[in-house]
Amino acid sequence: MTGSSVSFVRFTPCRGACRGTSSWRGSALTAGTIILQSVILSSCSGVQSALDPAGPEASDVATLFHVMLIGGVVIWLGVVGALFHAGRRAREPYSERTAGLVILWCGAIIPVIVLAALLSYAVWLMPNMRPWSSGGEGGLRQIEVSGEQFWWRVRYLDPEGNVLFETANEVVMPVGERVLFVLKSPDVIHSFWIPSLGGKMDMIPGRTNRLALEASKPGTYRGVCAEFCGPSHALMAFSVEALERGEFEAWLSGRQNAASNPGSQGLALFLRHGCNACHAIDGTDARGTIGPNLSAFGARGTVGAGTLPNTEEHIARFIRHPSEIKPQARMPSFGMIPEGDAEEIAAYLKGLK
Amino acid sequence: MTTALGEFSPDERAAQEERLRKAWETPKGWRYWTSVNNSQIGLWYGVTAFGFMLFAGVLALLVRLQLAVPNNDLLTADFFNQAFTLHGTVMMFLFAVPIFEAIAIFLLPSMLGARELPFPRLSAFGFWSFLLGGVFVCGSIFFNSAPSTGWFMYPPLATSKEYSGIGADIWLLGLSFIEVASIAAAVEIIVGIMKCRAPGMRINMMPMFAWYLLIVAGMILFAFPPLIAGDILFEMERMFGWPFFDAERGGDPLLWQHLFWIFGHPEVYIIFLPAIALMAMIVPTFSQRPIVGYSWIVLAAVGTGFLSFGLWVHHMFTTGLPQISLAFFSAASEAVVIPTGVQIFVFIATMLAGRVIFSVPMLFGAGGLVVFVIGGLTGVMVALVPFDWQAHDTYFVVAHLHYVLIGGMLFPIIAGIYYYFPFFSGKKLSDAWGKAAFWLMFVGFNIAFFPMHFSGLRGMPRRVFTYPGDVGWDWFNLISTIGAFIFATGVLTVVVDIFRPKTKLNDLNPWRSGTLEWTNNPDESWGMRSVPIISSRYPLWDQPGLQRDIEAGRYYLPDAQSGRRETLVTSVLDAEPIQCLRVGGTSYVTIVAALALGGVFIALTFHWWITTIVCAVITLMAILYWLWTGTAEIPPTPEMDVGLGKSLPIYVSGPASVGWWAMFITMVGDGTAFASLMFGYFFYWTIHDDFTAGLNGPGVFWPSVAIALFIVSWGLMLAARHLNRGDKIAGARLALIFSLAASLGGSVAGLLGPYVYDMQPTTHVYPAIVWIIVIWAVVHAVVGCIMQLYCLARSFAGIMTARYDQDIVNVTLYWHFLTITAVVSFGVVGLFPLVR
Amino acid sequence: MKHLLPPEIESLWTLFTAPVVWAAHFVVCYAAVAIYCEKAAVWDVDFGNVRTALGIFTLLALAMIVLSAYLAWRQWGFGAGDPPHDGATDQDRKRFQGFATLLLSGLSFVAVVYVAIPLIFIAGCQQ
Repeated sequence: MTGSSVSFVRFTPCRGACRGTSSWRGSALTAGTIILQSVILSSCSGVQSALDPAGPEASDVATLFHVMLIGGVVIWLGVVGALFHAGRRAREPYSERTAGLVILWCGAIIPVIVLAALLSYAVWLMPNMRPWSSGGEGGLRQIEVSGEQFWWRVRYLDPEGNVLFETANEVVMPVGERVLFVLKSPDVIHSFWIPSLGGKMDMIPGRTNRLALEASKPGTYRGVCAEFCGPSHALMAFSVEALERGEFEAWLSGRQNAASNPGSQGLALFLRHGCNACHAIDGTDARGTIGPNLSAFGARGTVGAGTLPNTEEHIARFIRHPSEIKPQARMPSFGMIPEGDAEEIAAYLKGLK
Repeated sequence: MTTALGEFSPDERAAQEERLRKAWETPKGWRYWTSVNNSQIGLWYGVTAFGFMLFAGVLALLVRLQLAVPNNDLLTADFFNQAFTLHGTVMMFLFAVPIFEAIAIFLLPSMLGARELPFPRLSAFGFWSFLLGGVFVCGSIFFNSAPSTGWFMYPPLATSKEYSGIGADIWLLGLSFIEVASIAAAVEIIVGIMKCRAPGMRINMMPMFAWYLLIVAGMILFAFPPLIAGDILFEMERMFGWPFFDAERGGDPLLWQHLFWIFGHPEVYIIFLPAIALMAMIVPTFSQRPIVGYSWIVLAAVGTGFLSFGLWVHHMFTTGLPQISLAFFSAASEAVVIPTGVQIFVFIATMLAGRVIFSVPMLFGAGGLVVFVIGGLTGVMVALVPFDWQAHDTYFVVAHLHYVLIGGMLFPIIAGIYYYFPFFSGKKLSDAWGKAAFWLMFVGFNIAFFPMHFSGLRGMPRRVFTYPGDVGWDWFNLISTIGAFIFATGVLTVVVDIFRPKTKLNDLNPWRSGTLEWTNNPDESWGMRSVPIISSRYPLWDQPGLQRDIEAGRYYLPDAQSGRRETLVTSVLDAEPIQCLRVGGTSYVTIVAALALGGVFIALTFHWWITTIVCAVITLMAILYWLWTGTAEIPPTPEMDVGLGKSLPIYVSGPASVGWWAMFITMVGDGTAFASLMFGYFFYWTIHDDFTAGLNGPGVFWPSVAIALFIVSWGLMLAARHLNRGDKIAGARLALIFSLAASLGGSVAGLLGPYVYDMQPTTHVYPAIVWIIVIWAVVHAVVGCIMQLYCLARSFAGIMTARYDQDIVNVTLYWHFLTITAVVSFGVVGLFPLVR
Repeated sequence: MKHLLPPEIESLWTLFTAPVVWAAHFVVCYAAVAIYCEKAAVWDVDFGNVRTALGIFTLLALAMIVLSAYLAWRQWGFGAGDPPHDGATDQDRKRFQGFATLLLSGLSFVAVVYVAIPLIFIAGCQQ
């Protein structure tokens, strides 16, 4: 298995600070206090936390959760209190009639009212959280994401649905604008999830699902596959970078007009060893479509869909022994390539920006 | 009590006891394993299920070890995936459901005041099937070929041979086999509770446990068949490439999710309700008063039973279904909370109205409740669609389901073990060990699972074999692992306490309980010494001298002069005695049948076709032999004296007989599986603009011929029963033969439809679903024909006559269901393409 | 056979009437919407019509449950005799059945209302 650290390069500054406190203290305290702790600390919990929302959908859900959490704690304390009271020995037994009324009120009537209110709140929330699903997807910027064992194919589409360009394992999106993700899968079921921005949506062979998400503040977030999809399900992540509108437009046009890549020793080796059978690099003769598109690979944070930090050494290792890093990865091993060649290709890939 | 009780001299009593002991004797030596006595089978069943639980627990510890630290390489990804898949599968299919079948089979006879449940051999058959299937599924991990795609086996990951190996076949076939055992147990439990209660035990006086088990067995009947139907489609795809779940050929992976969760969600309640049933026995005993809100419990059990079938899509909130559909299921999921809340407050109210003794069973019960309420509250949360979009498939759900299952099921089970230990062994478990076990389990559990709520909300998906070190999950996971080991120590403490040597109590009822099972003497295998007349919900509290009278043989069936195992059958609502039933005794035929049937499933897994056929033939022979020698036996005298001056018939047929009920109940389950296949047909129609994809259908002609012939066959079957009843034996035999011919003709016509139109089931899902429906109907017709041949043989052998006509009456009942199946099948495949 | 089931079973069935009505209501709501959302484009029916039809059906289901509750109340003797109904008499057995049926009708009523709540707030398939 992978011995090296699985890591994300960029992270929000508060993460390191809160990680230590919330967790070790949590272990020592009783259940009730952990809940309260979490309420206090929940606003600070990382690049992949549903409780650290960076978009309207996630923040609606976080609010819903906090409302339910407080209600839940009150109910739990009430029930446990009643249980303890009922278990006390020095106490006159209640009459059967009074006990019957306890069932009627606490067991039936109060829950009916509370649940009806909660259900109405949640059902009212649904169409408001995802209004785009009632046919209002026109005009949204579209990104097609395809979950494949065990990586993400990401295609930027124009308003007519034509592919502008393709990349992999990274999503770059503008802040303050709903982006429509068109979700597909060619092999097994995956699930597309960026906890900081909103809920997940499955990618099901034969079906096309749609999910519109909005980032409300710039930053880097982490997305993962949330439906078990095979041996390396755990090693299928992607990064989400939310940029201010201007920056985003600049990035987009930069990628669309990628200058043709100058030939190099690394590219020649890449082609000689047949990497182009599966991989494409825009502006070169590498036009394979089976595996991830490697254009601007050097700008990505990780190798192998969030598995290893993007260094030349890791790239070379991945080329030679992908299955050691990612069990049963679809990419065949290129252990027969001389180490020097693999390093050369790695350097070339790392240099693609 | 108006009936005069019987009086016997000590000599007479000793002679009676000798005869009873002989009739109910448990065989010695290796023949011990041929025993079919329900209390024996219940014990084996329970111990086996508990053993599987420990095995799955060890797998869970391995999983926790791997996740203790980030980037761990203790287990390989593949082994980890096998371990968590098998952990879930074994806990659900080999522990949670079977343990209750075990407890029910074990407790119900004594609790209901029956000597025996009506089909002891069926229970034995179920047990051996369960054992064999369970060992097969669990053993696979030692050959590195266990299923590895998660316990709900989503296609295409689990259907395609490209992505999953033989493990998927082992899962499908091994568990289908176990589902057969579950349905067998459900039949036994329903008929037992409805028909075998002690005289006077009206439905308003049944023990709570019986109410719950009745509902649960009914749920099994409607919940398991959709999974069996799904398994059939699944295995047809894996084995022969019929594309039910393959999107490229018109199939849809979501159909499996529907069928699986129509089974899967009720299953949660099938697990949970019997645990609550145990609590409903324990709480009144230690509150020292009858339960408050008996009717409320009935409301809760029945209500949960129904509502639990309207929840399945809440496992599919992220699949992209219309939000309005999701909202319906969200609403039903919130509604099911109400009966659950009622149950909890029934217990609290009972405690409030009594004086509570905090014994070990009560400690586990109350602790379980404290844990379960947290699971219930998180359940309310995840049932809300927007929150589930975030929480689905994360460790939050892992935490939720373990809070529900361990609080709502495992803790009550341990409570039940401590409570009922004296019932089956005459010894008591230790209070000190019990308390230590409780605190280890309670504290360990919370340390293990509470942090998972946070790791889940912080974005940790379930089923990951490793995770990065810098996303804020590492501490939570380490704490969880430590907690898991503390919890495991607690479970181990219980196991040690069970096996520790203990001294015998000189008291049948150490807890001073009020229910009937506590009159049972664990040293005798006859169950009740005599079957009492009941006039209270808590007869031991309210009927003074009951224990003494039962033991003195003053009630029904104090003797076994025929040397046969006899029990009383009573009416459904008011429990009036109506029959003296002779049940099957010790036999090896059940083991042979179970092993042979197991052989069929195992051989199928490895595609050993000839072995499959041989085993199938042996199974059929064994079952026929079993029926021929063990059922519908003509008694030497039509009636017998059951004591207290009452004479009851020994042989009854039709709705009064337990066999008729077993057939009816089995066919209801069978009909549910059929309905699931039809659901599949219409599902494909909904999702495609043209679900036939322009391919040939079976036409109208041949399906219409099939329908006509099946209706003719049905008419002839009715005629045969009628003629037989009128003692026109020759006419009856003739009608049977013609009916058989008509249904065979109908089958051929049915098959000709898809055949002559050259429907290729591997090309597209439309021909595949048509073929599977037609095959389903035809297989039922063939089974029916075997039954008719059996009736003919019984008639020629002179053991099916005008008066003793159980066989033909039951086969006619089967024919009603067969006719509905055939008419619907051929009607839909033949006509629906025209009207759509 | 005049009765499909023996008469004594039919009277046990009264216990299940209200939950069966809930189940029927639930299945109709689910199936109507599932089919509508897949076939809306083909059939050209407005969602408003589906909503109205299901609304009427909901009222119908509620009426049937109220009827079942009334019959149960009658069986309970219009509230005569509080629980526990644990006597060994026909009367107590009937009252028990009546009371339990009444409670189940209440639960089914609430469950039908819950299932109808989405029809108020969600005005389309929203897929």
